[in-house]
Amino acid sequence: MDKAGKQVEVAMKWELIKTYTVTRFIVTEYLDGVYVTLWKASTMHMLDKGGTRMTNFNSTNDEKQLEQFMQRIEANDKIEASDWMPDEYRMTLIKLISMHGMSEIMGALPEKEWVPKAPTLQRKLGIMAKVQDEMGHGQLLLRVTEDLLVPYGKNRADLMQDLFNGDLKFHNVFHMETKTWADAGIIGWLVDGAAIITQTDMLKASYGPYARALQRICAEEVFHAQHGESIILALVEGTDLQKAIVQEALDRWWEPLLMFFGPASKETTGSSKQDLTIKYKIRTKTNEEFRQIFFDKYIPRIISLGLKIPDPTLRYDQDSKLWFYEQPDWNAFKKIIKNQGPRSEARLNLRRHSYEYNSWVRDALSTSSS
Amino acid sequence: MGEEKTFYQEYEIFSKRTPSSAFQHQYSLLAPNEEMALIMAQENFMRREPVADIWIVNRKNIKRMNADEKLTLGRLENKDYRTTKGYGYLKKKWRKYEQEILDEKEILSWGGERK
Repeated sequence: MDKAGKQVEVAMKWELIKTYTVTRFIVTEYLDGVYVTLWKASTMHMLDKGGTRMTNFNSTNDEKQLEQFMQRIEANDKIEASDWMPDEYRMTLIKLISMHGMSEIMGALPEKEWVPKAPTLQRKLGIMAKVQDEMGHGQLLLRVTEDLLVPYGKNRADLMQDLFNGDLKFHNVFHMETKTWADAGIIGWLVDGAAIITQTDMLKASYGPYARALQRICAEEVFHAQHGESIILALVEGTDLQKAIVQEALDRWWEPLLMFFGPASKETTGSSKQDLTIKYKIRTKTNEEFRQIFFDKYIPRIISLGLKIPDPTLRYDQDSKLWFYEQPDWNAFKKIIKNQGPRSEARLNLRRHSYEYNSWVRDALSTSSS
Repeated sequence: MGEEKTFYQEYEIFSKRTPSSAFQHQYSLLAPNEEMALIMAQENFMRREPVADIWIVNRKNIKRMNADEKLTLGRLENKDYRTTKGYGYLKKKWRKYEQEILDEKEILSWGGERK
């Protein structure tokens, strides 16, 4: 080999050594985080297990997992669908979110009744957009529920069946009749207003997927509330008949609005989710606290429009900073949530009919899931 | 497995607001196929805000991290040398030579016309 060839060979070797060293350095540098993390995890695990095993990071100890889970809740960590969670947490979420989701869908029904009867084209477009939003919220929330149902092997079809056979409840307000166009206004203004109060409280819920869905839902609810205000303000500034139908609608909706937040304690209906939802930081306030906030925000507005609240006992106590009011008929509430309200069966039938009538679409488009 | 037919496949939806923005996750939906998923994505998630593009991904094609895998995401705390934070002392040094440090704000402003 000549001198030039020797030089090339040395240069190439040097290049190789450099490349190797740099690559090795980069790889090591890149991996050290992984190594150290794995090392930390395995060491912790060995400490946990008395140093008997070091390959399995999974703790099978439920108690330990529960403790770690509650630490995450306390630290305001977000729980995700695939994370370990106690059954009580999962069931509380499923009940809450499936009911919320179905209520969005069932809530679109009383409103859709007013699409053909809306007084102007603009109003028709507005209420159609709102109905579509509600169905969209239902879809978002059912997805959140379905991911929680995975361990039970249940899916959307099961949720629909649960709704039809009465196991899955929908919100008391959506069992009521809508008699005039003013009802569309009251629903947007006050029912959606009440919903905004409970939903914004859960924007920071410990369950990440629900909190994220609520971000979007609450943003759209602002439009719904203003859509309702727009209808109500147009009516109260209108003819005597228009003013009268607003008052008449408020008279009918006042009690359902009080019921909206649920009874103050579980003694009324025998069960209540409020303690569990607070324990797991899904929400922060009790039913009664929500109701008081609703009074704070809406009573002055209702009165400012010259409307009368149909409760002669209603008063605000300066010392306790609480509203005192006549309790709604909680026995009627119990019937309503058992699907024995004025429009419960009619609306369920509409949903059943639509589900069955369109079943051929599901059959035709079904594909292999693998 | 796989023989059972279903109308409900899970799709994850991603979209971006403008051609230059990054894709962002937009929740998930159930649809029988990609075409329906695309229509439903627009109907469900893009009724108001501007949108420049949409991606539909069947969830079975997504590898997710489980809780144990997430443990590997922890970072060492002593990695200052990777960030400008580890070189903060240069500012003081440059002052001795009556020069400004070329920091991130300065360097990222260089793209435009020569000033």
